[in-house]
Amino acid sequence: MKLSFNPLYLLASASILLSSCELFEVENPYVTEDRFIDGQQSLPTWLNGVRRQTSLTVGTVVEFTELVSDNYFNNYTQSSKVFDNPEINHFDRDVTNIQANIQKLLEMSEFGLTKFTFSDSPADQQIRAELLFSKAYAHILGAELYVGLPTTVLGEVKSPVELRTLAIALLNEAATLYSTAADKDACTLLIARCHYGLGNMTEATNFANQIVATPLLLRQVKYGTQNGPSNNFQSAIFSNTTNWFAPLPRLDFLDPKYFHQTSNIFDDEKPIAIAKAEEAYLILAEAQAVQNNLTAVKQTLKDLLSNTVSKRPVTQLNDKTDTRNGGNRTDYPITAVQVKFDAQSPAMSGFVLDRANGTIPAYSVSGTHITNTEIDAIQTQDEALYLIYLLRQEIFIAEGRRMTDLGIRFPVSEREQLNNRNVSEQHIKAIIPDFIPKNRGLDDFTYDRANATVTMAYDMNKVLVQHKASPYVMPFIK
Amino acid sequence: MKSYLLLLTGACLLGAAPTQGKMLTTISTYTTQADGSALLVSLENIAKNANKRLVYDKEILIGKKAASYDKNHSLPRMLEELLRGTGIAYQIKGDIILLHASTENPAPKVETRSQSQQQAVLRGIVRDELTRQPVSEATIAVVAKNRSIKAGVDGNFKLDLPAAESWIIRVSFMGYKTKDITVSRSSLSQKLEIDLAQDLFGLDEVVITGQGLDINKRRLSTNIASIGGDELAKVPATRFDQLLQSKLPNAQIRLTGGQSGATSIIRARGVVSAFMNSTPVIYVDGVRMDNLNTASAIGGGSAQGAGVSALADIPIDNIERVEYVNGGAATTLYGSDAANGVIQIFTKKGGADRTSVSAEATLGAERATTDFLHFQRTKELLFEPGLFQRYNVAVNGNSGKVGYSVTGAYLNSSGVQLFKQNQNKRFDLRTGFKAELHEKVSYESSFSFVNNSFKRTRNGNQGGYTGLWYAESGASAVTGPTPRFNPRIDDLSEEEFEKMKMFVHTAERLQDNEIVVNRFQTGQTFQYKPVHNINIKAVGGIDYRVVRNQTIQTNEYLTHTTGNLTTDRGSINNGERKFWGLTLELNGQHRAEIGDFSAVTTVGGQLFRNEDKQVAYNGTNVRDGARTIREAIATSSDNFVDEVVNYGVYAQTNLGWKNKLFLDLGLRGDGNSAFGKDIGVQYYPKVGFSYIPSSESWWSDNLPFLPSAKLRGNYGVAGNFPPAFLNLRTVSFAGYLGSQAAMFGMPGVDLRPEKTTTFEAGLDLGFWKDRITLSAGLYHAVTNDALFSVPAAPSTGEALALRNVGTILNRGLEFSTQIVAIQKENTSLRFNLAVNTLYNKVLSSNGAAPFNLAGFSERTIQTVVQEGYPIGFIRGAYGEFGEDGVLESTTPLQNLGTTIPDLFGSMGVNFQWKSLNLFANADYQQGAYANNWDSQFRYNYGAGDEGIPEGEINSEFKRTRWLQFTNMFVEKTDYIKIRTIGASYTLPQQMIRSFAKSMVVSGTVMNPFNFATSSFDPEATISGSAQGQGRATTGGISYATYSAPRQYLISVKMSF
Repeated sequence: MKLSFNPLYLLASASILLSSCELFEVENPYVTEDRFIDGQQSLPTWLNGVRRQTSLTVGTVVEFTELVSDNYFNNYTQSSKVFDNPEINHFDRDVTNIQANIQKLLEMSEFGLTKFTFSDSPADQQIRAELLFSKAYAHILGAELYVGLPTTVLGEVKSPVELRTLAIALLNEAATLYSTAADKDACTLLIARCHYGLGNMTEATNFANQIVATPLLLRQVKYGTQNGPSNNFQSAIFSNTTNWFAPLPRLDFLDPKYFHQTSNIFDDEKPIAIAKAEEAYLILAEAQAVQNNLTAVKQTLKDLLSNTVSKRPVTQLNDKTDTRNGGNRTDYPITAVQVKFDAQSPAMSGFVLDRANGTIPAYSVSGTHITNTEIDAIQTQDEALYLIYLLRQEIFIAEGRRMTDLGIRFPVSEREQLNNRNVSEQHIKAIIPDFIPKNRGLDDFTYDRANATVTMAYDMNKVLVQHKASPYVMPFIK
Repeated sequence: MKSYLLLLTGACLLGAAPTQGKMLTTISTYTTQADGSALLVSLENIAKNANKRLVYDKEILIGKKAASYDKNHSLPRMLEELLRGTGIAYQIKGDIILLHASTENPAPKVETRSQSQQQAVLRGIVRDELTRQPVSEATIAVVAKNRSIKAGVDGNFKLDLPAAESWIIRVSFMGYKTKDITVSRSSLSQKLEIDLAQDLFGLDEVVITGQGLDINKRRLSTNIASIGGDELAKVPATRFDQLLQSKLPNAQIRLTGGQSGATSIIRARGVVSAFMNSTPVIYVDGVRMDNLNTASAIGGGSAQGAGVSALADIPIDNIERVEYVNGGAATTLYGSDAANGVIQIFTKKGGADRTSVSAEATLGAERATTDFLHFQRTKELLFEPGLFQRYNVAVNGNSGKVGYSVTGAYLNSSGVQLFKQNQNKRFDLRTGFKAELHEKVSYESSFSFVNNSFKRTRNGNQGGYTGLWYAESGASAVTGPTPRFNPRIDDLSEEEFEKMKMFVHTAERLQDNEIVVNRFQTGQTFQYKPVHNINIKAVGGIDYRVVRNQTIQTNEYLTHTTGNLTTDRGSINNGERKFWGLTLELNGQHRAEIGDFSAVTTVGGQLFRNEDKQVAYNGTNVRDGARTIREAIATSSDNFVDEVVNYGVYAQTNLGWKNKLFLDLGLRGDGNSAFGKDIGVQYYPKVGFSYIPSSESWWSDNLPFLPSAKLRGNYGVAGNFPPAFLNLRTVSFAGYLGSQAAMFGMPGVDLRPEKTTTFEAGLDLGFWKDRITLSAGLYHAVTNDALFSVPAAPSTGEALALRNVGTILNRGLEFSTQIVAIQKENTSLRFNLAVNTLYNKVLSSNGAAPFNLAGFSERTIQTVVQEGYPIGFIRGAYGEFGEDGVLESTTPLQNLGTTIPDLFGSMGVNFQWKSLNLFANADYQQGAYANNWDSQFRYNYGAGDEGIPEGEINSEFKRTRWLQFTNMFVEKTDYIKIRTIGASYTLPQQMIRSFAKSMVVSGTVMNPFNFATSSFDPEATISGSAQGQGRATTGGISYATYSAPRQYLISVKMSF
């Protein structure tokens, strides 16, 4: 075979071809920030992102704080293995993760408020209001769950008092921008909650009283659709084939709060409440109890049951497959047994359900076993406070509120400390009041099969009342 | 970057210009065998003595040798004696002796047509100088031309020679000293007998890796390991990295699990990156291969709890040679991806003149490796005996200017897991061609196709039921049928155990996980030698690999394993990854010699374009029995795309003085599409020297027992690029209840490649006729701008991001030795041993927080990167017990040991007696630790006390503090593993007669013996769980992972 050309020229021309061809061209498959902000509908799209983050943040908070509290324990190895103890360290990834979720919500709201241009149109102003509301809610979560948190990138650590004060200002601004009464009421309720946390009894009572007029007020974060956000807590207590979280047996009747009744889980993922009218009644009742006005307490609590709780949805749910299977406790009662709130308490029925025996009532917003009978039986301030905190526990179960009521606070995470010189030694220690039992005591119970009775190791509401003077609980008592 | 290519074009054109400059250039000094004295000289002597004049045609005398003649004989007699057999006749006319071609007596057996243009054929045989055994597959090539052939099984060859009067023939084969022989046309009449001397030191072995084109090892400042195909063919391995296990003296290869397609950990000079996996770059015939050795971004086997390695389906048939450089200056020429070293595979593309067909059948038994099982009954619960079979047919030949090599293989390994749940079927097809297109242009081509499909049972950290977790980690106490079993399964009554067995067998049977790989690869090479001292090579090729990974979970399976009736959760998850990699390379080499000086200069350019496209398509609520998601009530999908172009231009020159002192200089400039102009051109320089003191007379006079010595040292830089567009993903999009939602993406960070700078020095010595060779070296490598996954402070709201904040040190000593204890005609005995030390430390993280490579949460166990510690050390809680055996104190986040060995290496023995060959090889490591997560689970689930004091177990805390003394579950992972013991016997010809040309029977045991300090398999440490595709991992956690099975194999290979 003869070649009639010099192959080197062939190679040379090949490399010329190479230098001009598209082999070097690569397309960035991702949207850049500049392109996004300047693009169409960027502000509403960002708001959706903030809403998604709110759902994710609330979901994370609920998953972990319910474990820390006496509401739920981890019966499996997924999720935190130490929060049940409770053991909370600043280096714990979950502590970091919760903080990061709260601060991401804060920063995303802030990004929306500062990087986008708002017109005077009502639509834009509503978006602005919602961004302010989200930012305020991030502050509230920080105040209620942490010893303190920075509110700017690597900024100073603000105390819970400062965080609540900032939240109130943001909510006030949001309330003026919101156009609907429901939105304004949601702001009002959260302001009441902030004042409650601050121990400002007068202000808390005033704002809470405004909500009583709208007893079905409910603000929830939403979950669902294939691409989420999804309600992880619903997976943990119902939707997953293995339910890895189990409630304290005396709260068994309130589980599951979130459940699906469709073949696709994501078609039915229950929302989680972040503000509901029940809280206004509970704030009022607590203020009245602290003022020793037991008559008013009884009336407020009865109103709470009749105007609000009884009007919340109840679903008859088939929960026959829940075997409470898991690794940590294999002695969870799954038939209707008697329950003793602690060793000294009387045995009562109706708390642990026999799920195999037909459907059970499921309360996706609020449920409680308390009736007017128990309310009428209140004779002392302590009894009133006990009942109020029991109601708070039952009504707010699976909403991430119990850890705060127990006086437990997360520390600022190690990752923040390593990067942020404003974080001091005092910020990296969790607050776990001395009266909190260690070694999984919060969730502990004994099951006497012979007498079909399950006994809680501790009645934490009793413990709370005993320690009502503690600076970490019952903010109206100072 | 385009300007570089234009520059390269210019260089090519310059190279094409005639090189008849004033510089005298030669190829090199040939070791020419002495010719017989030329015929013309003798004729002239005779004519002079007889006072006569010679008249002749010059053509007829060229290359002719003189026969002996007696000076005392008469003139006619002398002429007759002298011209006997030359094909020349004479006439004496007066004072003239007239010479002419003889008509009746042509040169016997020379297939020439008497003129130089006529076809010339060289016949010969290549043999071992000492043993006289044929050296089959030795390459016989015509120097400075593109023609070559291989010796057949019997050592014979026949080579068509290009038109010329004489030729320089180069005979080479790995392990032998290359020989150059000048052959003249007249000598073609006789069969050329070539005896090759064994080359134990390898100073003049020709290698390619790291240089672009051929170069002698003598000239190199780095150590390049090369392994011949015959050595590799001894081991009936099923995958490429297994084939190299304990073969590479300065690298460690560990399969991280015994299941088909498991990922491996390959590392040599430590862990230079906390970001990129330590797997070297792999080339087959100059074409870069997909070397993903972790789970892929989506669907890449993560559903099975471990990644699918792309190394598992690299073609392993018909390999001629493998070259390996483990880092340092030799990798500089591979630029931005080469910091972990380079493996080059060269495949066969031709054979002997006569077509040879060889067929090999390997059959054998597979047995589970039970050495590391905790419970005796686990074997009965989870394993069954397996059958291994592999058939291979290869056709090699060379017809004139075209060489060809075709091979096909089929493998079927039933695996040792119940219900053939790890069965592996593989089909390989490969062709290789080479052709001389023109006397100056040659072409080589290779194609291969691999189809590999295998099953996998669930393993590792998958949640829900996995066989090993259930049996070995004690999970039977917490999952499965109620009432739960006693997790101490050896204590179960026969009746209970039968119940458990029924449960486990059903759970295993109901699993349906399959991985299918189809891989097509081709490499096309043109070589052009315009003049004898210039060689230009152009390579183009493609690796196209498609992996489909399917996991089907039926309702029956879910109901059975969870104990909850499930009717609407059946699911089918598919992950598909398509990798398309294009390699283009153009380079040219120029050799020059001026007096005592020589220079080998290489200039080249490379382009790699990789496209990695992945999709997941999943269906849920699938009826049992359905196998496609069309039958699913709900479907979902996902998509991942990664396109990146990496291109570079390099120039290097190797300057030599008196063939004993060499200076190596090189520079590479790289561009990468990942960040466009932001990243700019990255430069990778190298400089090195090599000195051969044994060439000096003072050396040979004073150190006669040290015939070979080489001193070398170098400095070089290689790098790793961060993933494409990573720092531009500042916004990410997700759904919010079906609407579009925008969120924070990756923070915008200035990224650049991490660069590893290596200094190394070494000494290679050959003692006593090179019977003992010793190579000793040390290296010091520092990775600057190391890419660390820096977790953001929560208050930034940012996600974790890669940042160039780290500095990593690796340093060590590398020794390897080969001892030829016996070397006789019929017997030889060789030992080889490699010892490597390694010190690894993160010198700085610039204040960035620690981050994990693998593992679970901070409170459990992680392998972590942190300033002041080795990469991937085990971090967990350290607990101390009081005298009463109760936990006294616990400190979280403690260093519980490094996962990187500080000593590792390999060893082997090879004994040859006549046609019988016995061999064994092993590798070892020392100084690394791993966490026995199975044991920690056993403690937690009450399946064992695991050495925890009774005081603690009986305390009020019972077993709840299982995570507070993780140090109690960390074990040393020193081991020696015998990988292969084998014997092969070449049957004598009289036994096989004319049935075949040769027949070899061999028996091999794979993974026969394991000696380890750990109670678990120190290799099976779930490395697939890296934090993302292609990311770094060091293993270190033993958790529900299968060990590689034992195989007892017999094979018969016949050549026709």
